[in-house]
Amino acid sequence: MSILASFHWGWLLGAAVLGLIIGWVSIARRSDGLSLRTMRWSLAAISALVAIAVARLLPGRLGYWLDLGLLLGLCYVIGCVAGAWLRERVVARAVAKASASGS
Amino acid sequence: MPDQRPPGIFKWSRRWAPGLIPLVIIWALAGWNGTVPFEAGLAAQGRNAIKDTVLDGASVMVEGRDIRLSANAFSEEGRLSALAAVEAIPGVRLVNDATGLLPEAKPFIWTADRDVVRVTLGGTAPLPAARARLMEAARNDLPGVEIADRMTFARGALPRFEAAAVLLIDQLPRLKEAKISISDGNVKLNGMASEIGGREAITAALRNLPEGFSVAENIVQAPPYIFRINKDPVVATLTLSGYVPDNNVHAAIVAAIGRKFSGEKIVDNLKASVGAPAGFANAVMTALGSLSRLSTGSLLISDREVRLSGDALYEAAANQLRESAGGSLPQNWTYKADVSVRPAASAVDSTICQQLFSELLGKERIRFESGKTDISPDSVGLLDRLIATTLRCPSTSIEIAGHTDTDGEGAANLALSQKRAEAVLNYLIRAGLSSERLTAVGYGSEQPLASNDTSEGKAQNRRIDFVVK
Repeated sequence: MSILASFHWGWLLGAAVLGLIIGWVSIARRSDGLSLRTMRWSLAAISALVAIAVARLLPGRLGYWLDLGLLLGLCYVIGCVAGAWLRERVVARAVAKASASGS
Repeated sequence: MPDQRPPGIFKWSRRWAPGLIPLVIIWALAGWNGTVPFEAGLAAQGRNAIKDTVLDGASVMVEGRDIRLSANAFSEEGRLSALAAVEAIPGVRLVNDATGLLPEAKPFIWTADRDVVRVTLGGTAPLPAARARLMEAARNDLPGVEIADRMTFARGALPRFEAAAVLLIDQLPRLKEAKISISDGNVKLNGMASEIGGREAITAALRNLPEGFSVAENIVQAPPYIFRINKDPVVATLTLSGYVPDNNVHAAIVAAIGRKFSGEKIVDNLKASVGAPAGFANAVMTALGSLSRLSTGSLLISDREVRLSGDALYEAAANQLRESAGGSLPQNWTYKADVSVRPAASAVDSTICQQLFSELLGKERIRFESGKTDISPDSVGLLDRLIATTLRCPSTSIEIAGHTDTDGEGAANLALSQKRAEAVLNYLIRAGLSSERLTAVGYGSEQPLASNDTSEGKAQNRRIDFVVK
Protein backbone atom coordinates (compact mmCIF):
# COMPACT_ATOMS: atom_id res chain seq x y z
CA MET A 1 0.00 0.00 0.00
CA SER A 2 2.84 2.38 0.80
CA ILE A 3 4.16 1.95 -2.76
CA LEU A 4 0.68 2.73 -4.09
CA ALA A 5 0.50 5.80 -1.86
CA SER A 6 3.93 7.07 -2.80
CA PHE A 7 3.25 6.51 -6.51
CA HIS A 8 -0.16 8.29 -6.45
CA TRP A 9 0.57 10.82 -3.72
CA GLY A 10 -0.61 13.73 -5.89
CA TRP A 11 -4.03 12.22 -6.53
CA LEU A 12 -4.36 11.21 -2.89
CA LEU A 13 -3.51 14.72 -1.81
CA GLY A 14 -6.17 15.98 -4.22
CA ALA A 15 -8.73 13.64 -2.67
CA ALA A 16 -7.77 14.84 0.84
CA VAL A 17 -8.07 18.50 -0.18
CA LEU A 18 -11.44 17.75 -1.73
CA GLY A 19 -12.47 16.09 1.52
CA LEU A 20 -11.21 19.08 3.50
CA ILE A 21 -13.41 21.42 1.46
CA ILE A 22 -16.46 19.18 1.60
CA GLY A 23 -15.94 18.65 5.35
CA TRP A 24 -15.58 22.41 5.87
CA VAL A 25 -18.76 23.28 4.08
CA SER A 26 -20.70 20.34 5.53
CA ILE A 27 -20.89 22.10 8.91
CA ALA A 28 -22.68 25.13 7.55
CA ARG A 29 -25.15 23.25 5.35
CA ARG A 30 -28.72 23.23 6.43
CA SER A 31 -29.75 19.91 4.88
CA ASP A 32 -29.58 16.70 6.82
CA GLY A 33 -27.77 14.93 3.95
CA LEU A 34 -28.23 11.27 3.34
CA SER A 35 -30.83 9.30 5.22
CA LEU A 36 -29.77 6.90 7.92
CA ARG A 37 -30.91 4.03 5.79
CA THR A 38 -28.73 5.16 2.87
CA MET A 39 -25.81 5.70 5.21
CA ARG A 40 -26.13 2.20 6.55
CA TRP A 41 -26.23 0.72 3.05
CA SER A 42 -23.29 2.86 2.05
CA LEU A 43 -21.24 1.70 5.02
CA ALA A 44 -22.16 -1.88 4.24
CA ALA A 45 -21.10 -1.45 0.62
CA ILE A 46 -17.80 0.17 1.62
CA SER A 47 -17.17 -2.63 4.13
CA ALA A 48 -17.86 -5.18 1.41
CA LEU A 49 -15.42 -3.47 -0.96
CA VAL A 50 -12.76 -3.34 1.76
CA ALA A 51 -13.32 -7.02 2.43
CA ILE A 52 -12.96 -7.79 -1.28
CA ALA A 53 -9.74 -5.77 -1.42
CA VAL A 54 -8.27 -7.38 1.69
CA ALA A 55 -9.18 -10.83 0.42
CA ARG A 56 -7.65 -9.95 -2.97
CA LEU A 57 -10.68 -11.32 -4.74
CA LEU A 58 -10.55 -9.07 -7.77
CA PRO A 59 -7.77 -9.99 -10.17
CA GLY A 60 -5.37 -7.79 -12.12
CA ARG A 61 -6.23 -4.22 -12.93
CA LEU A 62 -9.68 -4.38 -11.30
CA GLY A 63 -8.08 -5.25 -7.99
CA TYR A 64 -5.54 -2.51 -8.45
CA TRP A 65 -8.23 0.06 -9.26
CA LEU A 66 -10.27 -1.06 -6.24
CA ASP A 67 -7.24 -0.58 -3.99
CA LEU A 68 -6.64 2.82 -5.53
CA GLY A 69 -10.31 3.82 -5.11
CA LEU A 70 -10.37 2.75 -1.46
CA LEU A 71 -7.16 4.63 -0.78
CA LEU A 72 -8.58 7.74 -2.44
CA GLY A 73 -11.80 7.30 -0.42
CA LEU A 74 -9.80 6.99 2.80
CA CYS A 75 -7.93 10.21 2.03
CA TYR A 76 -11.24 11.90 1.19
CA VAL A 77 -12.80 10.80 4.47
CA ILE A 78 -9.75 11.92 6.46
CA GLY A 79 -9.99 15.28 4.64
CA CYS A 80 -13.70 15.53 5.42
CA VAL A 81 -13.12 14.77 9.10
CA ALA A 82 -10.32 17.29 9.32
CA GLY A 83 -12.35 19.95 7.46
CA ALA A 84 -15.46 19.42 9.56
CA TRP A 85 -13.51 19.40 12.77
CA LEU A 86 -11.68 22.64 11.90
CA ARG A 87 -14.92 24.37 10.85
CA GLU A 88 -16.64 23.17 13.96
CA ARG A 89 -13.82 24.64 16.05
CA VAL A 90 -14.11 27.98 14.22
CA VAL A 91 -17.90 28.08 14.63
CA ALA A 92 -17.71 27.14 18.32
CA ARG A 93 -15.15 29.88 18.96
CA ALA A 94 -17.33 32.44 17.17
CA VAL A 95 -20.37 31.41 19.19
CA ALA A 96 -18.37 31.60 22.44
CA LYS A 97 -17.10 35.08 21.53
CA ALA A 98 -20.62 36.28 20.63
CA SER A 99 -22.10 35.00 23.87
CA ALA A 100 -19.25 36.58 25.87
CA SER A 101 -19.76 39.99 24.24
CA GLY A 102 -23.55 39.72 24.56
CA SER A 103 -23.46 39.04 28.32
CA MET B 1 -29.05 28.79 25.16
CA PRO B 2 -27.72 26.93 22.03
CA ASP B 3 -26.82 23.28 22.11
CA GLN B 4 -23.04 23.13 22.91
CA ARG B 5 -22.59 19.44 22.06
CA PRO B 6 -20.64 18.69 18.91
CA PRO B 7 -22.90 17.42 16.18
CA GLY B 8 -20.72 14.31 15.72
CA ILE B 9 -18.84 12.80 12.88
CA PHE B 10 -21.72 10.63 11.84
CA LYS B 11 -24.06 13.56 11.45
CA TRP B 12 -21.52 15.54 9.46
CA SER B 13 -20.67 12.58 7.27
CA ARG B 14 -24.24 12.44 6.04
CA ARG B 15 -23.45 15.70 4.23
CA TRP B 16 -20.18 14.46 2.56
CA ALA B 17 -21.85 12.67 -0.34
CA PRO B 18 -21.61 15.65 -2.79
CA GLY B 19 -17.83 15.20 -2.85
CA LEU B 20 -18.15 11.67 -4.18
CA ILE B 21 -18.65 12.78 -7.78
CA PRO B 22 -15.37 14.76 -7.97
CA LEU B 23 -13.72 11.93 -6.00
CA VAL B 24 -14.77 9.43 -8.66
CA ILE B 25 -13.39 11.79 -11.30
CA ILE B 26 -10.08 11.91 -9.41
CA TRP B 27 -10.15 8.13 -9.18
CA ALA B 28 -10.72 7.77 -12.91
CA LEU B 29 -7.96 10.24 -13.72
CA ALA B 30 -5.53 8.54 -11.37
CA GLY B 31 -6.34 5.17 -12.90
CA TRP B 32 -6.12 6.53 -16.44
CA ASN B 33 -2.74 8.18 -15.94
CA GLY B 34 -1.06 5.92 -13.47
CA THR B 35 -1.87 2.35 -14.38
CA VAL B 36 0.52 1.78 -17.25
CA PRO B 37 3.53 3.53 -15.65
CA PHE B 38 2.85 1.74 -12.37
CA GLU B 39 2.78 -1.62 -14.18
CA ALA B 40 5.93 -0.78 -16.12
CA GLY B 41 7.73 0.06 -12.89
CA LEU B 42 6.71 -3.22 -11.29
CA ALA B 43 7.70 -5.18 -14.39
CA ALA B 44 11.16 -3.61 -14.35
CA GLN B 45 11.56 -4.49 -10.70
CA GLY B 46 10.35 -8.02 -11.43
CA ARG B 47 12.92 -8.52 -14.19
CA ASN B 48 15.61 -7.11 -11.97
CA ALA B 49 14.64 -9.44 -9.12
CA ILE B 50 15.11 -12.59 -11.23
CA LYS B 51 18.11 -11.54 -13.23
CA ASP B 52 20.51 -13.51 -11.04
CA THR B 53 18.40 -16.63 -11.08
CA VAL B 54 19.18 -19.13 -13.86
CA LEU B 55 15.94 -19.49 -15.81
CA ASP B 56 15.02 -20.34 -19.36
CA GLY B 57 12.45 -18.25 -21.21
CA ALA B 58 11.65 -16.05 -18.22
CA SER B 59 8.96 -13.40 -18.71
CA VAL B 60 7.37 -11.00 -16.25
CA MET B 61 3.83 -9.81 -17.05
CA VAL B 62 2.18 -7.23 -14.81
CA GLU B 63 -1.54 -6.47 -14.55
CA GLY B 64 -2.24 -3.86 -11.93
CA ARG B 65 -0.27 -5.00 -8.93
CA ASP B 66 -0.29 -8.66 -9.92
CA ILE B 67 2.77 -10.27 -11.49
CA ARG B 68 2.67 -13.31 -13.67
CA LEU B 69 6.05 -15.05 -13.75
CA SER B 70 6.60 -17.52 -16.60
CA ALA B 71 9.87 -19.43 -16.74
CA ASN B 72 11.45 -22.82 -16.96
CA ALA B 73 13.78 -23.39 -14.07
CA PHE B 74 16.79 -25.67 -14.11
CA SER B 75 16.06 -26.89 -10.59
CA GLU B 76 13.21 -26.78 -8.05
CA GLU B 77 15.40 -24.68 -5.80
CA GLY B 78 15.93 -22.13 -8.56
CA ARG B 79 12.22 -22.03 -9.33
CA LEU B 80 11.23 -21.33 -5.71
CA SER B 81 13.97 -18.76 -5.37
CA ALA B 82 12.71 -16.87 -8.42
CA LEU B 83 9.14 -16.88 -7.08
CA ALA B 84 10.31 -15.66 -3.67
CA ALA B 85 12.31 -12.86 -5.26
CA VAL B 86 9.28 -11.63 -7.19
CA GLU B 87 6.97 -11.90 -4.18
CA ALA B 88 9.40 -9.78 -2.17
CA ILE B 89 9.05 -6.80 -4.52
CA PRO B 90 7.28 -3.94 -2.63
CA GLY B 91 3.85 -3.20 -4.06
CA VAL B 92 3.23 -6.63 -5.51
CA ARG B 93 -0.20 -7.93 -4.53
CA LEU B 94 -0.30 -11.40 -6.09
CA VAL B 95 2.23 -13.55 -7.93
CA ASN B 96 0.73 -15.84 -10.53
CA ASP B 97 3.04 -18.79 -10.77
CA ALA B 98 3.45 -19.95 -14.33
CA THR B 99 6.88 -21.43 -13.70
CA GLY B 100 7.93 -24.99 -14.20
CA LEU B 101 10.96 -27.16 -14.37
CA LEU B 102 12.70 -27.74 -17.67
CA PRO B 103 11.81 -31.09 -19.17
CA GLU B 104 14.31 -33.81 -18.48
CA ALA B 105 15.86 -35.13 -21.68
CA LYS B 106 16.14 -38.91 -21.78
CA PRO B 107 18.48 -39.61 -23.43
CA PHE B 108 20.31 -36.32 -23.12
CA ILE B 109 21.51 -35.65 -26.67
CA TRP B 110 23.96 -32.99 -27.80
CA THR B 111 25.30 -32.63 -31.33
CA ALA B 112 27.98 -30.78 -33.25
CA ASP B 113 27.91 -30.80 -37.05
CA ARG B 114 30.59 -29.39 -39.25
CA ASP B 115 30.47 -28.82 -42.98
CA VAL B 116 32.64 -26.71 -45.22
CA VAL B 117 31.42 -23.32 -44.09
CA ARG B 118 29.90 -23.68 -40.66
CA VAL B 119 29.68 -25.51 -37.39
CA THR B 120 26.26 -26.07 -35.86
CA LEU B 121 25.92 -26.92 -32.20
CA GLY B 122 22.56 -28.53 -31.52
CA GLY B 123 20.68 -30.78 -29.17
CA THR B 124 20.37 -29.88 -25.54
CA ALA B 125 22.60 -28.08 -23.09
CA PRO B 126 22.18 -28.32 -19.33
CA LEU B 127 22.62 -24.64 -18.38
CA PRO B 128 22.96 -21.26 -20.10
CA ALA B 129 26.50 -20.94 -18.76
CA ALA B 130 27.45 -24.32 -20.21
CA ARG B 131 25.87 -23.37 -23.51
CA ALA B 132 27.83 -20.11 -23.60
CA ARG B 133 31.07 -21.93 -22.78
CA LEU B 134 30.51 -24.45 -25.56
CA MET B 135 29.91 -21.63 -28.05
CA GLU B 136 33.01 -19.85 -26.81
CA ALA B 137 35.10 -23.02 -27.14
CA ALA B 138 33.89 -23.45 -30.72
CA ARG B 139 34.67 -19.84 -31.59
CA ASN B 140 38.15 -20.11 -30.08
CA ASP B 141 38.92 -23.38 -31.82
CA LEU B 142 37.58 -22.31 -35.20
CA PRO B 143 38.31 -18.65 -35.82
CA GLY B 144 36.73 -17.45 -39.03
CA VAL B 145 34.21 -20.29 -39.16
CA GLU B 146 30.53 -19.49 -38.70
CA ILE B 147 29.23 -21.06 -35.49
CA ALA B 148 25.47 -21.61 -35.34
CA ASP B 149 23.77 -22.17 -31.99
CA ARG B 150 20.74 -24.47 -32.24
CA MET B 151 20.98 -25.75 -28.69
CA THR B 152 18.00 -25.84 -26.37
CA PHE B 153 17.92 -26.50 -22.66
CA ALA B 154 16.98 -29.61 -20.78
CA ARG B 155 17.79 -31.28 -17.53
CA GLY B 156 19.36 -34.70 -17.28
CA ALA B 157 22.96 -34.21 -18.42
CA LEU B 158 25.62 -36.44 -16.93
CA PRO B 159 27.83 -34.70 -14.35
CA ARG B 160 30.83 -33.97 -16.62
CA PHE B 161 28.89 -33.34 -19.80
CA GLU B 162 30.46 -29.96 -20.43
CA ALA B 163 34.03 -31.29 -20.28
CA ALA B 164 33.13 -34.07 -22.71
CA ALA B 165 31.45 -31.64 -25.12
CA VAL B 166 34.39 -29.22 -25.01
CA LEU B 167 36.79 -32.08 -25.71
CA LEU B 168 34.72 -33.01 -28.77
CA ILE B 169 34.53 -29.40 -29.93
CA ASP B 170 38.32 -29.31 -29.68
CA GLN B 171 38.44 -32.08 -32.30
CA LEU B 172 36.47 -30.08 -34.87
CA PRO B 173 39.53 -28.27 -36.30
CA ARG B 174 40.93 -31.68 -37.23
CA LEU B 175 37.80 -32.53 -39.20
CA LYS B 176 36.73 -31.27 -42.60
CA GLU B 177 33.23 -32.69 -42.20
CA ALA B 178 31.82 -34.08 -38.99
CA LYS B 179 28.75 -35.30 -37.22
CA ILE B 180 29.41 -35.62 -33.52
CA SER B 181 26.89 -36.56 -30.88
CA ILE B 182 26.71 -37.29 -27.20
CA SER B 183 23.76 -39.40 -26.13
CA ASP B 184 23.92 -39.68 -22.35
CA GLY B 185 27.39 -41.19 -21.99
CA ASN B 186 27.78 -42.49 -25.56
CA VAL B 187 29.96 -40.49 -27.91
CA LYS B 188 29.66 -40.93 -31.67
CA LEU B 189 31.89 -39.43 -34.30
CA ASN B 190 31.48 -39.55 -38.06
CA GLY B 191 33.41 -37.46 -40.48
CA MET B 192 36.42 -36.81 -42.61
CA ALA B 193 39.74 -35.75 -41.15
CA SER B 194 41.17 -32.66 -42.75
CA GLU B 195 44.73 -33.94 -42.73
CA ILE B 196 46.75 -37.14 -42.61
CA GLY B 197 47.14 -38.04 -38.97
CA GLY B 198 43.99 -36.21 -37.89
CA ARG B 199 42.08 -39.43 -37.38
CA GLU B 200 44.76 -40.85 -35.10
CA ALA B 201 45.02 -37.59 -33.16
CA ILE B 202 41.25 -37.63 -32.58
CA THR B 203 41.31 -41.25 -31.45
CA ALA B 204 44.09 -40.38 -29.01
CA ALA B 205 42.19 -37.36 -27.70
CA LEU B 206 39.05 -39.42 -27.12
CA ARG B 207 40.93 -41.50 -24.57
CA ASN B 208 40.73 -38.42 -22.33
CA LEU B 209 36.92 -38.34 -22.25
CA PRO B 210 35.73 -37.74 -18.69
CA GLU B 211 34.47 -40.55 -16.53
CA GLY B 212 31.04 -41.76 -17.54
CA PHE B 213 31.57 -41.09 -21.25
CA SER B 214 32.75 -43.65 -23.78
CA VAL B 215 33.18 -43.86 -27.54
CA ALA B 216 30.27 -45.79 -29.02
CA GLU B 217 31.25 -45.08 -32.61
CA ASN B 218 34.32 -43.50 -34.18
CA ILE B 219 34.07 -43.53 -37.96
CA VAL B 220 36.42 -40.82 -39.07
CA GLN B 221 37.66 -41.15 -42.62
CA ALA B 222 41.15 -39.97 -43.34
CA PRO B 223 42.36 -38.51 -46.60
CA PRO B 224 44.35 -41.10 -48.57
CA TYR B 225 47.85 -41.76 -47.29
CA ILE B 226 49.91 -40.89 -50.34
CA PHE B 227 53.44 -41.94 -51.20
CA ARG B 228 54.80 -41.14 -54.66
CA ILE B 229 58.01 -41.58 -56.57
CA ASN B 230 58.60 -40.19 -60.05
CA LYS B 231 61.48 -41.56 -62.03
CA ASP B 232 62.80 -39.24 -64.68
CA PRO B 233 65.65 -40.81 -66.70
CA VAL B 234 66.38 -37.62 -68.64
CA VAL B 235 67.70 -35.82 -65.56
CA ALA B 236 68.41 -39.13 -63.73
CA THR B 237 66.26 -38.03 -60.82
CA LEU B 238 63.94 -39.78 -58.41
CA THR B 239 61.44 -37.38 -56.84
CA LEU B 240 59.91 -38.61 -53.59
CA SER B 241 56.79 -36.97 -52.21
CA GLY B 242 53.95 -37.72 -49.79
CA TYR B 243 54.16 -39.29 -46.36
CA VAL B 244 56.11 -41.90 -44.44
CA PRO B 245 55.20 -43.12 -40.95
CA ASP B 246 58.46 -42.17 -39.24
CA ASN B 247 62.13 -41.41 -39.71
CA ASN B 248 63.18 -45.06 -39.51
CA VAL B 249 60.96 -46.03 -42.42
CA HIS B 250 62.11 -42.92 -44.23
CA ALA B 251 65.75 -43.90 -43.82
CA ALA B 252 65.02 -47.50 -44.83
CA ILE B 253 63.30 -46.33 -48.03
CA VAL B 254 66.16 -44.01 -48.94
CA ALA B 255 68.66 -46.81 -48.27
CA ALA B 256 66.63 -49.24 -50.43
CA ILE B 257 66.54 -46.70 -53.24
CA GLY B 258 70.33 -46.45 -53.00
CA ARG B 259 70.60 -50.22 -53.47
CA LYS B 260 67.95 -50.61 -56.17
CA PHE B 261 68.65 -47.56 -58.33
CA SER B 262 72.08 -46.77 -59.65
CA GLY B 263 73.26 -43.23 -59.51
CA GLU B 264 69.90 -41.45 -59.69
CA LYS B 265 69.72 -38.16 -57.85
CA ILE B 266 67.07 -38.20 -55.09
CA VAL B 267 64.80 -35.21 -54.50
CA ASP B 268 63.29 -36.06 -51.14
CA ASN B 269 60.06 -34.22 -50.27
CA LEU B 270 58.71 -36.89 -47.92
CA LYS B 271 57.02 -35.84 -44.69
CA ALA B 272 56.61 -37.98 -41.61
CA SER B 273 53.03 -38.52 -40.49
CA VAL B 274 50.98 -41.06 -38.64
CA GLY B 275 48.09 -42.72 -40.41
CA ALA B 276 50.01 -45.10 -42.69
CA PRO B 277 48.14 -48.28 -43.55
CA ALA B 278 49.44 -51.50 -42.01
CA GLY B 279 52.30 -53.02 -44.00
CA PHE B 280 53.21 -49.70 -45.61
CA ALA B 281 56.98 -50.17 -45.37
CA ASN B 282 56.89 -53.69 -46.82
CA ALA B 283 54.65 -52.58 -49.66
CA VAL B 284 56.97 -49.70 -50.51
CA MET B 285 60.01 -52.01 -50.52
CA THR B 286 58.26 -54.43 -52.86
CA ALA B 287 57.00 -51.69 -55.15
CA LEU B 288 60.42 -50.02 -55.29
CA GLY B 289 61.79 -53.16 -56.95
CA SER B 290 59.13 -52.89 -59.65
CA LEU B 291 59.80 -49.19 -60.15
CA SER B 292 63.51 -49.93 -60.54
CA ARG B 293 62.66 -52.06 -63.57
CA LEU B 294 61.07 -49.14 -65.42
CA SER B 295 63.08 -46.84 -67.63
CA THR B 296 60.68 -44.02 -66.87
CA GLY B 297 57.58 -44.02 -64.70
CA SER B 298 56.02 -43.42 -61.37
CA LEU B 299 54.98 -45.28 -58.29
CA LEU B 300 51.92 -44.09 -56.42
CA ILE B 301 50.80 -45.64 -53.15
CA SER B 302 47.41 -44.38 -52.05
CA ASP B 303 46.27 -45.99 -48.83
CA ARG B 304 46.43 -49.73 -49.61
CA GLU B 305 46.67 -49.39 -53.36
CA VAL B 306 49.92 -49.58 -55.28
CA ARG B 307 49.89 -48.06 -58.77
CA LEU B 308 52.80 -48.46 -61.08
CA SER B 309 52.92 -46.74 -64.44
CA GLY B 310 55.64 -46.21 -66.98
CA ASP B 311 57.79 -47.96 -69.57
CA ALA B 312 59.44 -51.32 -69.04
CA LEU B 313 62.67 -52.06 -70.84
CA TYR B 314 61.40 -55.09 -72.79
CA GLU B 315 58.20 -57.01 -73.36
CA ALA B 316 58.76 -59.86 -70.87
CA ALA B 317 59.51 -57.36 -68.10
CA ALA B 318 56.34 -55.43 -68.94
CA ASN B 319 54.30 -58.62 -68.72
CA GLN B 320 55.83 -59.52 -65.36
CA LEU B 321 55.17 -56.05 -64.02
CA ARG B 322 51.56 -56.12 -65.23
CA GLU B 323 50.98 -59.41 -63.45
CA SER B 324 52.50 -58.69 -60.07
CA ALA B 325 54.28 -56.13 -58.01
CA GLY B 326 57.42 -58.25 -58.06
CA GLY B 327 56.87 -59.71 -54.63
CA SER B 328 54.11 -60.30 -52.18
CA LEU B 329 52.24 -57.23 -51.01
CA PRO B 330 50.81 -57.21 -47.47
CA GLN B 331 47.31 -58.55 -46.97
CA ASN B 332 44.41 -56.46 -48.33
CA TRP B 333 46.72 -54.43 -50.55
CA THR B 334 45.94 -54.08 -54.25
CA TYR B 335 48.25 -53.60 -57.18
CA LYS B 336 47.50 -51.85 -60.46
CA ALA B 337 50.01 -51.54 -63.24
CA ASP B 338 49.81 -49.44 -66.37
CA VAL B 339 53.04 -50.51 -68.00
CA SER B 340 54.05 -50.20 -71.63
CA VAL B 341 57.31 -51.13 -73.31
CA ARG B 342 59.94 -48.60 -74.17
CA PRO B 343 60.64 -48.55 -77.95
CA ALA B 344 63.51 -50.91 -78.68
CA ALA B 345 66.86 -49.19 -79.03
CA SER B 346 68.88 -49.71 -82.17
CA ALA B 347 71.25 -52.68 -82.42
CA VAL B 348 74.92 -52.04 -81.75
CA ASP B 349 78.12 -53.83 -82.63
CA SER B 350 80.12 -55.91 -80.21
CA THR B 351 82.50 -53.13 -79.20
CA ILE B 352 79.76 -50.78 -78.14
CA CYS B 353 77.91 -53.67 -76.60
CA GLN B 354 80.89 -54.43 -74.33
CA GLN B 355 81.14 -50.73 -73.52
CA LEU B 356 77.50 -50.63 -72.49
CA PHE B 357 77.89 -53.70 -70.26
CA SER B 358 80.97 -52.22 -68.63
CA GLU B 359 79.21 -48.95 -67.97
CA LEU B 360 76.27 -50.67 -66.35
CA LEU B 361 78.36 -52.99 -64.22
CA GLY B 362 80.82 -50.25 -63.40
CA LYS B 363 78.12 -48.26 -61.63
CA GLU B 364 76.68 -51.16 -59.63
CA ARG B 365 77.04 -54.86 -59.21
CA ILE B 366 74.66 -57.77 -59.35
CA ARG B 367 74.05 -58.60 -55.72
CA PHE B 368 73.51 -62.02 -54.22
CA GLU B 369 72.29 -63.17 -50.87
CA SER B 370 75.31 -63.45 -48.60
CA GLY B 371 77.27 -66.71 -49.32
CA LYS B 372 74.47 -67.95 -51.59
CA THR B 373 73.71 -68.12 -55.25
CA ASP B 374 70.30 -66.41 -55.03
CA ILE B 375 70.19 -63.07 -56.81
CA SER B 376 69.21 -60.25 -54.49
CA PRO B 377 65.85 -58.60 -55.30
CA ASP B 378 67.76 -55.30 -55.24
CA SER B 379 69.40 -56.25 -58.56
CA VAL B 380 66.28 -56.79 -60.68
CA GLY B 381 66.54 -53.28 -62.15
CA LEU B 382 70.18 -53.78 -63.14
CA LEU B 383 69.41 -57.20 -64.62
CA ASP B 384 66.63 -55.66 -66.72
CA ARG B 385 69.05 -53.08 -68.06
CA LEU B 386 71.60 -55.84 -68.81
CA ILE B 387 68.89 -57.81 -70.61
CA ALA B 388 67.86 -54.74 -72.60
CA THR B 389 71.49 -54.22 -73.59
CA THR B 390 71.85 -57.87 -74.53
CA LEU B 391 68.84 -57.46 -76.78
CA ARG B 392 70.68 -54.66 -78.57
CA CYS B 393 73.53 -57.03 -79.30
CA PRO B 394 71.82 -59.74 -81.37
CA SER B 395 74.89 -61.02 -83.13
CA THR B 396 77.28 -61.37 -80.20
CA SER B 397 78.07 -64.19 -77.86
CA ILE B 398 78.25 -63.18 -74.25
CA GLU B 399 80.10 -64.80 -71.42
CA ILE B 400 78.65 -64.28 -67.97
CA ALA B 401 81.74 -64.45 -65.80
CA GLY B 402 81.54 -65.05 -62.06
CA HIS B 403 84.35 -63.92 -59.74
CA THR B 404 85.00 -64.10 -56.04
CA ASP B 405 87.51 -62.70 -53.59
CA THR B 406 90.17 -64.91 -52.00
CA ASP B 407 88.29 -65.60 -48.78
CA GLY B 408 87.58 -69.30 -48.37
CA GLU B 409 88.88 -72.26 -50.27
CA GLY B 410 89.72 -71.90 -53.92
CA ALA B 411 87.53 -74.81 -55.01
CA ALA B 412 84.56 -73.48 -53.10
CA ASN B 413 85.05 -70.02 -54.56
CA LEU B 414 85.23 -71.50 -58.02
CA ALA B 415 82.01 -73.42 -57.49
CA LEU B 416 80.28 -70.36 -56.00
CA SER B 417 81.35 -68.12 -58.86
CA GLN B 418 80.18 -70.72 -61.36
CA LYS B 419 76.80 -71.11 -59.68
CA ARG B 420 76.27 -67.37 -59.40
CA ALA B 421 77.13 -66.94 -63.08
CA GLU B 422 74.65 -69.70 -63.89
CA ALA B 423 72.00 -68.04 -61.73
CA VAL B 424 72.36 -64.89 -63.79
CA LEU B 425 72.30 -66.92 -66.99
CA ASN B 426 69.10 -68.66 -65.93
CA TYR B 427 67.54 -65.31 -65.07
CA LEU B 428 68.35 -64.05 -68.59
CA ILE B 429 66.97 -67.19 -70.20
CA ARG B 430 63.76 -66.88 -68.17
CA ALA B 431 63.52 -63.31 -69.47
CA GLY B 432 63.36 -64.73 -72.99
CA LEU B 433 66.96 -64.53 -74.16
CA SER B 434 68.36 -67.34 -76.27
CA SER B 435 70.68 -69.66 -74.36
CA GLU B 436 72.71 -70.33 -77.50
CA ARG B 437 74.82 -67.19 -77.33
CA LEU B 438 75.10 -67.03 -73.54
CA THR B 439 77.62 -68.94 -71.45
CA ALA B 440 78.23 -68.94 -67.74
CA VAL B 441 81.79 -69.35 -66.46
CA GLY B 442 83.05 -69.27 -62.89
CA TYR B 443 86.60 -68.02 -62.35
CA GLY B 444 86.76 -68.13 -58.60
CA SER B 445 89.35 -65.69 -57.32
CA GLU B 446 91.69 -66.06 -60.31
CA GLN B 447 90.95 -62.69 -61.93
CA PRO B 448 90.92 -60.08 -59.22
CA LEU B 449 90.28 -56.45 -60.16
CA ALA B 450 91.80 -55.12 -56.97
CA SER B 451 93.90 -56.25 -54.08
CA ASN B 452 92.32 -58.83 -51.82
CA ASP B 453 94.10 -57.32 -48.84
CA THR B 454 91.36 -54.80 -48.12
CA SER B 455 87.65 -55.23 -47.69
CA GLU B 456 87.03 -52.61 -50.40
CA GLY B 457 89.24 -54.55 -52.78
CA LYS B 458 87.49 -57.80 -51.94
CA ALA B 459 84.13 -56.18 -52.58
CA GLN B 460 85.33 -55.09 -56.01
CA ASN B 461 86.55 -58.60 -56.78
CA ARG B 462 83.20 -60.25 -55.92
CA ARG B 463 81.41 -59.60 -59.18
CA ILE B 464 79.65 -60.80 -62.30
CA ASP B 465 81.05 -59.50 -65.59
CA PHE B 466 79.40 -59.59 -69.02
CA VAL B 467 82.13 -60.25 -71.54
CA VAL B 468 81.40 -59.98 -75.24
CA LYS B 469 83.14 -62.76 -77.12
